[in-house]
Amino acid sequence: MNCRDKPELRERLAAEYALGTLRGRARERLKRWMRDDPELMNEIRAWETRLGPMAEAVEPVAPPARVWRQVEQRLDFRTKSSFWKTLGLIAGGAAAALAAVAVLLPPQREGIPASYVAVLSDPKTQRPVIVASAGRKDTALHVKLLDPAIRVTGRSLELWALPRDGKPRSLGLISEQKLTLTLAAAADQSLGDVPALAVSLEPQGGSPTGQPTGPVLYTGPCVKYW
Amino acid sequence: MAPPARALEGLVERAALGDRAAFRSLYQATSAKLYGVALRILRRADWAEEVLQECYVSVWRHAPDYRAERAAPMTWMTSIVRNRCLDWLRRPNPEPLEDGVLESLESGNPGPLALLEQGRDSAALARCLRGLEARQRQAIALAFFDGLSHAELARHLREPLGTVKTWVRRGLARLRSCLELQG
Repeated sequence: MNCRDKPELRERLAAEYALGTLRGRARERLKRWMRDDPELMNEIRAWETRLGPMAEAVEPVAPPARVWRQVEQRLDFRTKSSFWKTLGLIAGGAAAALAAVAVLLPPQREGIPASYVAVLSDPKTQRPVIVASAGRKDTALHVKLLDPAIRVTGRSLELWALPRDGKPRSLGLISEQKLTLTLAAAADQSLGDVPALAVSLEPQGGSPTGQPTGPVLYTGPCVKYW
Repeated sequence: MAPPARALEGLVERAALGDRAAFRSLYQATSAKLYGVALRILRRADWAEEVLQECYVSVWRHAPDYRAERAAPMTWMTSIVRNRCLDWLRRPNPEPLEDGVLESLESGNPGPLALLEQGRDSAALARCLRGLEARQRQAIALAFFDGLSHAELARHLREPLGTVKTWVRRGLARLRSCLELQG
Protein backbone atom coordinates (compact mmCIF):
# COMPACT_ATOMS: atom_id res chain seq x y z
CA MET A 1 0.00 0.00 0.00
CA ASN A 2 1.21 3.48 -0.67
CA CYS A 3 -0.21 6.86 0.12
CA ARG A 4 0.69 8.48 -3.19
CA ASP A 5 -2.88 8.74 -4.45
CA LYS A 6 -4.53 9.47 -1.12
CA PRO A 7 -3.88 13.09 -0.28
CA GLU A 8 -5.72 13.00 3.04
CA LEU A 9 -3.77 9.97 4.23
CA ARG A 10 -0.50 11.55 3.09
CA GLU A 11 -1.28 14.72 4.97
CA ARG A 12 -2.14 12.82 8.14
CA LEU A 13 0.94 10.60 7.99
CA ALA A 14 3.21 13.58 7.30
CA ALA A 15 1.75 15.45 10.28
CA GLU A 16 2.02 12.46 12.62
CA TYR A 17 5.58 11.75 11.49
CA ALA A 18 6.57 15.34 12.27
CA LEU A 19 4.72 15.33 15.60
CA GLY A 20 6.30 12.01 16.47
CA THR A 21 3.28 9.85 17.15
CA LEU A 22 3.98 7.68 14.12
CA ARG A 23 6.19 4.86 15.37
CA GLY A 24 7.65 1.49 14.73
CA ARG A 25 6.95 -0.08 11.36
CA ALA A 26 4.67 2.74 10.23
CA ARG A 27 7.48 5.24 10.83
CA GLU A 28 10.05 3.12 9.00
CA ARG A 29 7.65 2.66 6.08
CA LEU A 30 7.05 6.38 5.78
CA LYS A 31 10.81 7.00 5.82
CA ARG A 32 11.17 4.65 2.85
CA TRP A 33 8.33 6.36 0.99
CA MET A 34 9.67 9.84 1.51
CA ARG A 35 13.03 8.85 0.01
CA ASP A 36 11.55 8.62 -3.47
CA ASP A 37 8.60 10.92 -3.00
CA PRO A 38 9.87 14.51 -2.80
CA GLU A 39 6.34 15.82 -2.43
CA LEU A 40 5.80 13.73 0.70
CA MET A 41 9.16 14.96 1.96
CA ASN A 42 8.01 18.55 1.43
CA GLU A 43 4.80 17.90 3.36
CA ILE A 44 6.81 16.52 6.26
CA ARG A 45 9.19 19.52 6.16
CA ALA A 46 6.18 21.83 6.16
CA TRP A 47 4.84 20.13 9.26
CA GLU A 48 8.22 20.26 10.96
CA THR A 49 8.26 23.98 10.26
CA ARG A 50 4.77 24.40 11.70
CA LEU A 51 5.49 22.47 14.90
CA GLY A 52 9.20 23.23 15.34
CA PRO A 53 8.72 26.53 17.19
CA MET A 54 7.11 24.59 20.08
CA ALA A 55 10.67 23.73 21.08
CA GLU A 56 11.02 27.33 22.28
CA ALA A 57 9.00 26.29 25.33
CA VAL A 58 11.54 23.64 26.29
CA GLU A 59 13.81 24.48 29.21
CA PRO A 60 17.41 24.69 27.97
CA VAL A 61 19.87 22.44 29.81
CA ALA A 62 23.60 22.92 29.27
CA PRO A 63 25.06 19.60 28.10
CA PRO A 64 28.26 18.34 29.77
CA ALA A 65 31.47 19.59 28.14
CA ARG A 66 32.37 16.07 27.04
CA VAL A 67 29.62 16.19 24.41
CA TRP A 68 31.46 18.86 22.40
CA ARG A 69 34.78 17.06 22.88
CA GLN A 70 33.24 13.91 21.45
CA VAL A 71 31.75 15.80 18.52
CA GLU A 72 35.20 17.23 17.76
CA GLN A 73 36.74 13.82 18.05
CA ARG A 74 34.23 12.18 15.77
CA LEU A 75 34.69 14.88 13.17
CA ASP A 76 38.45 14.59 13.44
CA PHE A 77 38.75 18.26 14.31
CA ARG A 78 41.67 17.70 16.63
CA THR A 79 44.03 15.57 14.65
CA LYS A 80 43.91 16.95 11.14
CA SER A 81 45.02 20.52 10.69
CA SER A 82 42.03 22.60 9.83
CA PHE A 83 41.83 24.68 6.71
CA TRP A 84 40.60 27.54 8.86
CA LYS A 85 43.50 27.08 11.22
CA THR A 86 45.77 27.18 8.20
CA LEU A 87 44.29 30.56 7.42
CA GLY A 88 45.39 31.75 10.82
CA LEU A 89 48.90 30.47 10.18
CA ILE A 90 49.01 32.31 6.89
CA ALA A 91 47.98 35.52 8.57
CA GLY A 92 50.75 35.01 11.10
CA GLY A 93 53.63 34.38 8.71
CA ALA A 94 53.07 32.99 5.31
CA ALA A 95 56.51 32.06 4.00
CA ALA A 96 55.71 28.43 3.30
CA ALA A 97 52.37 29.17 1.68
CA LEU A 98 53.87 31.89 -0.44
CA ALA A 99 56.66 29.58 -1.53
CA ALA A 100 54.07 27.04 -2.56
CA VAL A 101 52.22 29.70 -4.52
CA ALA A 102 55.40 30.80 -6.26
CA VAL A 103 56.14 27.25 -7.36
CA LEU A 104 52.63 26.81 -8.69
CA LEU A 105 52.50 30.06 -10.59
CA PRO A 106 53.45 30.09 -14.22
CA PRO A 107 56.35 32.43 -14.91
CA GLN A 108 54.96 35.87 -15.60
CA ARG A 109 56.12 37.61 -18.73
CA GLU A 110 56.28 40.99 -17.03
CA GLY A 111 58.39 39.55 -14.28
CA ILE A 112 55.95 40.77 -11.62
CA PRO A 113 53.63 38.18 -10.20
CA ALA A 114 49.97 39.02 -9.85
CA SER A 115 49.22 40.59 -6.52
CA TYR A 116 46.42 38.47 -5.16
CA VAL A 117 46.79 34.76 -5.49
CA ALA A 118 44.53 32.00 -4.27
CA VAL A 119 45.37 28.32 -4.39
CA LEU A 120 42.36 26.07 -3.97
CA SER A 121 42.79 22.43 -3.06
CA ASP A 122 40.63 19.39 -2.95
CA PRO A 123 40.27 18.66 0.78
CA LYS A 124 40.12 14.92 0.11
CA THR A 125 43.42 14.66 -1.72
CA GLN A 126 44.96 17.88 -0.33
CA ARG A 127 46.16 18.55 -3.86
CA PRO A 128 45.95 22.04 -5.35
CA VAL A 129 43.51 22.09 -8.24
CA ILE A 130 42.78 25.75 -9.03
CA VAL A 131 44.87 28.91 -8.97
CA ALA A 132 43.18 32.29 -9.20
CA SER A 133 45.12 35.52 -9.48
CA ALA A 134 44.56 39.21 -10.06
CA GLY A 135 46.76 42.28 -10.23
CA ARG A 136 46.22 44.70 -7.35
CA LYS A 137 44.65 47.39 -9.51
CA ASP A 138 42.94 45.00 -11.93
CA THR A 139 39.37 43.81 -12.08
CA ALA A 140 40.26 40.72 -14.13
CA LEU A 141 40.61 37.56 -12.05
CA HIS A 142 42.47 34.85 -13.95
CA VAL A 143 41.60 31.29 -13.10
CA LYS A 144 43.81 28.36 -13.98
CA LEU A 145 42.59 24.78 -13.68
CA LEU A 146 45.50 22.59 -12.61
CA ASP A 147 43.49 19.42 -12.80
CA PRO A 148 42.02 18.63 -16.21
CA ALA A 149 39.41 16.45 -14.50
CA ILE A 150 37.56 19.49 -13.15
CA ARG A 151 34.48 19.38 -15.30
CA VAL A 152 30.80 19.14 -14.44
CA THR A 153 27.82 18.50 -16.65
CA GLY A 154 24.36 19.86 -15.96
CA ARG A 155 25.70 21.89 -13.02
CA SER A 156 27.92 24.88 -12.50
CA LEU A 157 31.04 25.58 -10.48
CA GLU A 158 30.79 28.85 -8.63
CA LEU A 159 33.76 30.69 -7.17
CA TRP A 160 33.27 32.49 -3.84
CA ALA A 161 35.21 35.04 -1.87
CA LEU A 162 35.05 34.28 1.86
CA PRO A 163 35.54 37.65 3.53
CA ARG A 164 37.00 37.88 7.03
CA ASP A 165 33.65 39.30 8.18
CA GLY A 166 30.35 38.64 6.53
CA LYS A 167 28.88 36.23 4.10
CA PRO A 168 30.50 34.61 1.08
CA ARG A 169 30.44 36.76 -2.09
CA SER A 170 30.06 35.19 -5.49
CA LEU A 171 32.87 35.95 -7.92
CA GLY A 172 31.14 34.15 -10.79
CA LEU A 173 30.92 30.79 -12.50
CA ILE A 174 34.02 29.07 -13.77
CA SER A 175 34.47 26.47 -16.49
CA GLU A 176 37.06 25.48 -19.08
CA GLN A 177 35.45 28.05 -21.38
CA LYS A 178 35.26 30.79 -18.77
CA LEU A 179 38.58 31.30 -17.02
CA THR A 180 38.60 35.07 -16.62
CA LEU A 181 36.15 36.64 -14.21
CA THR A 182 35.48 40.31 -13.71
CA LEU A 183 35.69 41.56 -10.13
CA ALA A 184 33.19 44.17 -8.93
CA ALA A 185 36.10 46.50 -8.13
CA ALA A 186 39.89 46.43 -8.35
CA ALA A 187 41.41 43.47 -6.53
CA ASP A 188 42.67 45.69 -3.71
CA GLN A 189 39.04 46.47 -2.86
CA SER A 190 37.48 43.14 -3.85
CA LEU A 191 40.00 40.80 -2.29
CA GLY A 192 41.75 42.90 0.34
CA ASP A 193 39.64 41.54 3.21
CA VAL A 194 39.30 38.04 1.75
CA PRO A 195 41.54 35.44 3.37
CA ALA A 196 40.10 32.54 1.38
CA LEU A 197 38.23 31.47 -1.76
CA ALA A 198 36.03 28.45 -2.29
CA VAL A 199 34.33 26.66 -5.17
CA SER A 200 30.91 25.13 -4.70
CA LEU A 201 28.82 22.91 -6.93
CA GLU A 202 25.64 24.74 -7.89
CA PRO A 203 22.60 24.27 -10.13
CA GLN A 204 23.25 25.20 -13.75
CA GLY A 205 23.55 28.97 -13.99
CA GLY A 206 24.77 29.38 -10.41
CA SER A 207 23.36 29.59 -6.93
CA PRO A 208 19.73 30.74 -6.97
CA THR A 209 20.08 32.37 -3.54
CA GLY A 210 23.28 34.38 -3.90
CA GLN A 211 24.87 32.17 -1.25
CA PRO A 212 26.54 28.80 -1.70
CA THR A 213 23.88 26.10 -1.78
CA GLY A 214 25.75 23.03 -2.99
CA PRO A 215 28.69 21.10 -1.58
CA VAL A 216 31.96 22.97 -1.32
CA LEU A 217 34.45 21.18 -3.55
CA TYR A 218 37.62 23.23 -3.19
CA THR A 219 38.89 25.82 -0.78
CA GLY A 220 42.13 27.59 -0.22
CA PRO A 221 43.87 30.68 1.10
CA CYS A 222 43.92 33.91 -0.86
CA VAL A 223 47.08 35.88 -0.16
CA LYS A 224 48.50 39.20 -1.18
CA TYR A 225 51.62 38.51 -3.13
CA TRP A 226 53.90 41.47 -3.59
CA MET B 1 16.05 34.40 24.52
CA ALA B 2 16.75 32.41 21.39
CA PRO B 3 19.48 33.81 19.16
CA PRO B 4 18.12 35.48 16.02
CA ALA B 5 17.60 33.11 13.11
CA ARG B 6 19.73 35.26 10.80
CA ALA B 7 22.76 34.96 13.05
CA LEU B 8 22.36 31.18 13.20
CA GLU B 9 21.90 31.04 9.42
CA GLY B 10 25.24 32.76 8.98
CA LEU B 11 26.89 30.22 11.28
CA VAL B 12 25.37 27.27 9.41
CA GLU B 13 26.51 28.76 6.08
CA ARG B 14 30.04 29.18 7.34
CA ALA B 15 30.04 25.70 8.84
CA ALA B 16 28.98 24.44 5.41
CA LEU B 17 32.18 25.95 4.03
CA GLY B 18 34.24 24.10 6.61
CA ASP B 19 34.54 26.88 9.19
CA ARG B 20 35.05 25.03 12.47
CA ALA B 21 34.99 28.15 14.61
CA ALA B 22 31.55 29.02 13.22
CA PHE B 23 30.40 25.47 13.94
CA ARG B 24 31.62 25.77 17.50
CA SER B 25 29.67 29.03 17.89
CA LEU B 26 26.62 27.29 16.47
CA TYR B 27 27.04 24.54 19.06
CA GLN B 28 27.41 27.06 21.85
CA ALA B 29 24.31 28.95 20.74
CA THR B 30 22.04 25.94 20.29
CA SER B 31 23.21 22.92 22.29
CA ALA B 32 21.46 23.75 25.58
CA LYS B 33 18.09 24.05 23.87
CA LEU B 34 18.59 20.88 21.86
CA TYR B 35 19.90 18.96 24.86
CA GLY B 36 16.76 20.04 26.70
CA VAL B 37 14.62 18.73 23.83
CA ALA B 38 16.46 15.37 23.81
CA LEU B 39 16.40 15.01 27.61
CA ARG B 40 12.64 15.46 27.75
CA ILE B 41 11.99 12.85 25.10
CA LEU B 42 14.59 10.28 26.16
CA ARG B 43 14.50 10.93 29.93
CA ARG B 44 18.03 9.59 30.32
CA ALA B 45 21.04 11.87 30.33
CA ASP B 46 23.40 9.27 28.84
CA TRP B 47 21.09 8.68 25.88
CA ALA B 48 20.47 12.37 25.38
CA GLU B 49 24.22 13.03 25.31
CA GLU B 50 24.76 10.30 22.75
CA VAL B 51 21.94 11.58 20.55
CA LEU B 52 23.10 15.18 20.83
CA GLN B 53 26.58 14.19 19.80
CA GLU B 54 25.30 12.25 16.78
CA CYS B 55 23.06 15.14 15.79
CA TYR B 56 25.86 17.73 15.75
CA VAL B 57 28.00 15.37 13.67
CA SER B 58 25.04 15.16 11.31
CA VAL B 59 24.52 18.96 11.34
CA TRP B 60 28.18 19.46 10.34
CA ARG B 61 27.91 16.91 7.54
CA HIS B 62 24.58 18.16 6.24
CA ALA B 63 25.24 21.87 6.65
CA PRO B 64 25.89 22.22 2.88
CA ASP B 65 22.37 20.88 2.24
CA TYR B 66 20.71 23.35 4.62
CA ARG B 67 18.35 25.79 2.87
CA ALA B 68 17.38 28.88 4.81
CA GLU B 69 14.30 29.41 2.66
CA ARG B 70 12.91 26.04 3.76
CA ALA B 71 13.29 26.26 7.53
CA ALA B 72 14.81 28.43 10.24
CA PRO B 73 18.10 26.91 11.48
CA MET B 74 16.61 26.08 14.88
CA THR B 75 13.63 24.31 13.29
CA TRP B 76 15.99 22.34 11.07
CA MET B 77 18.17 21.27 13.99
CA THR B 78 15.22 20.56 16.29
CA SER B 79 13.81 18.19 13.66
CA ILE B 80 17.15 16.40 13.39
CA VAL B 81 17.26 15.95 17.17
CA ARG B 82 13.62 14.93 17.60
CA ASN B 83 13.78 12.45 14.73
CA ARG B 84 16.97 10.94 16.09
CA CYS B 85 15.38 10.64 19.55
CA LEU B 86 12.32 8.93 18.12
CA ASP B 87 14.50 6.52 16.17
CA TRP B 88 16.48 5.84 19.31
CA LEU B 89 13.43 5.15 21.42
CA ARG B 90 12.57 1.53 21.53
CA ARG B 91 11.18 1.74 25.00
CA PRO B 92 8.67 -1.00 25.66
CA ASN B 93 7.98 0.23 29.19
CA PRO B 94 8.14 3.97 29.37
CA GLU B 95 9.06 5.35 32.74
CA PRO B 96 6.26 7.33 34.34
CA LEU B 97 6.10 10.93 33.20
CA GLU B 98 6.91 13.66 35.58
CA ASP B 99 4.96 16.86 35.62
CA GLY B 100 6.50 19.26 33.26
CA VAL B 101 5.90 21.38 30.26
CA LEU B 102 2.69 19.64 29.34
CA GLU B 103 1.03 19.87 32.73
CA SER B 104 1.77 23.56 32.92
CA LEU B 105 0.52 23.91 29.36
CA GLU B 106 -2.62 22.27 30.59
CA SER B 107 -3.09 24.01 33.89
CA GLY B 108 -3.42 27.26 32.01
CA ASN B 109 -0.58 28.83 33.92
CA PRO B 110 1.25 31.27 31.69
CA GLY B 111 4.54 29.31 31.45
CA PRO B 112 5.26 27.66 28.12
CA LEU B 113 2.44 29.16 26.05
CA ALA B 114 3.36 32.65 27.20
CA LEU B 115 6.96 31.85 26.31
CA LEU B 116 5.86 30.77 22.85
CA GLU B 117 3.83 33.93 22.44
CA GLN B 118 6.92 36.06 22.90
CA GLY B 119 8.93 34.27 20.22
CA ARG B 120 9.00 35.74 16.73
CA ASP B 121 8.50 32.39 15.08
CA SER B 122 6.26 30.84 17.69
CA ALA B 123 3.66 33.54 18.41
CA ALA B 124 1.25 32.36 15.71
CA LEU B 125 1.67 28.77 16.83
CA ALA B 126 0.95 29.74 20.45
CA ARG B 127 -2.26 31.52 19.44
CA CYS B 128 -3.37 28.50 17.45
CA LEU B 129 -2.52 26.10 20.29
CA ARG B 130 -4.68 28.19 22.60
CA GLY B 131 -7.51 27.79 20.11
CA LEU B 132 -7.50 23.99 20.38
CA GLU B 133 -9.65 22.00 22.75
CA ALA B 134 -7.73 21.34 25.94
CA ARG B 135 -7.43 17.58 25.37
CA GLN B 136 -6.26 18.06 21.77
CA ARG B 137 -3.66 20.53 22.98
CA GLN B 138 -2.56 18.19 25.75
CA ALA B 139 -2.20 15.22 23.41
CA ILE B 140 -0.15 17.24 20.92
CA ALA B 141 2.05 18.69 23.66
CA LEU B 142 2.70 15.25 25.18
CA ALA B 143 3.62 13.89 21.77
CA PHE B 144 5.89 16.80 20.85
CA PHE B 145 7.65 17.45 24.14
CA ASP B 146 7.75 13.95 25.59
CA GLY B 147 7.81 11.86 22.44
CA LEU B 148 4.78 9.78 23.33
CA SER B 149 3.36 7.47 20.67
CA HIS B 150 -0.39 7.03 20.19
CA ALA B 151 -0.36 3.95 22.44
CA GLU B 152 1.63 5.75 25.14
CA LEU B 153 -0.71 8.73 24.94
CA ALA B 154 -3.68 6.43 25.44
CA ARG B 155 -2.05 4.85 28.50
CA HIS B 156 -0.99 8.15 30.00
CA LEU B 157 -4.34 9.85 29.44
CA ARG B 158 -6.30 6.68 30.32
CA GLU B 159 -8.41 6.91 27.19
CA PRO B 160 -9.08 4.40 24.41
CA LEU B 161 -6.50 4.41 21.62
CA GLY B 162 -9.05 5.42 18.99
CA THR B 163 -10.16 8.43 21.02
CA VAL B 164 -6.61 9.67 21.48
CA LYS B 165 -5.82 9.21 17.79
CA THR B 166 -8.86 11.30 16.93
CA TRP B 167 -7.77 14.11 19.27
CA VAL B 168 -4.34 14.18 17.68
CA ARG B 169 -5.70 14.07 14.15
CA ARG B 170 -8.32 16.77 14.69
CA GLY B 171 -5.95 18.89 16.73
CA LEU B 172 -3.32 18.83 13.98
CA ALA B 173 -5.90 19.62 11.30
CA ARG B 174 -7.19 22.59 13.29
CA LEU B 175 -3.68 23.76 14.00
CA ARG B 176 -2.91 23.72 10.31
CA SER B 177 -5.94 25.69 9.21
CA CYS B 178 -5.43 28.17 12.03
CA LEU B 179 -1.77 28.70 11.07
CA GLU B 180 -2.75 29.18 7.44
CA LEU B 181 -5.25 31.86 8.45
CA GLN B 182 -2.57 33.61 10.47
CA GLY B 183 -0.45 33.61 7.31
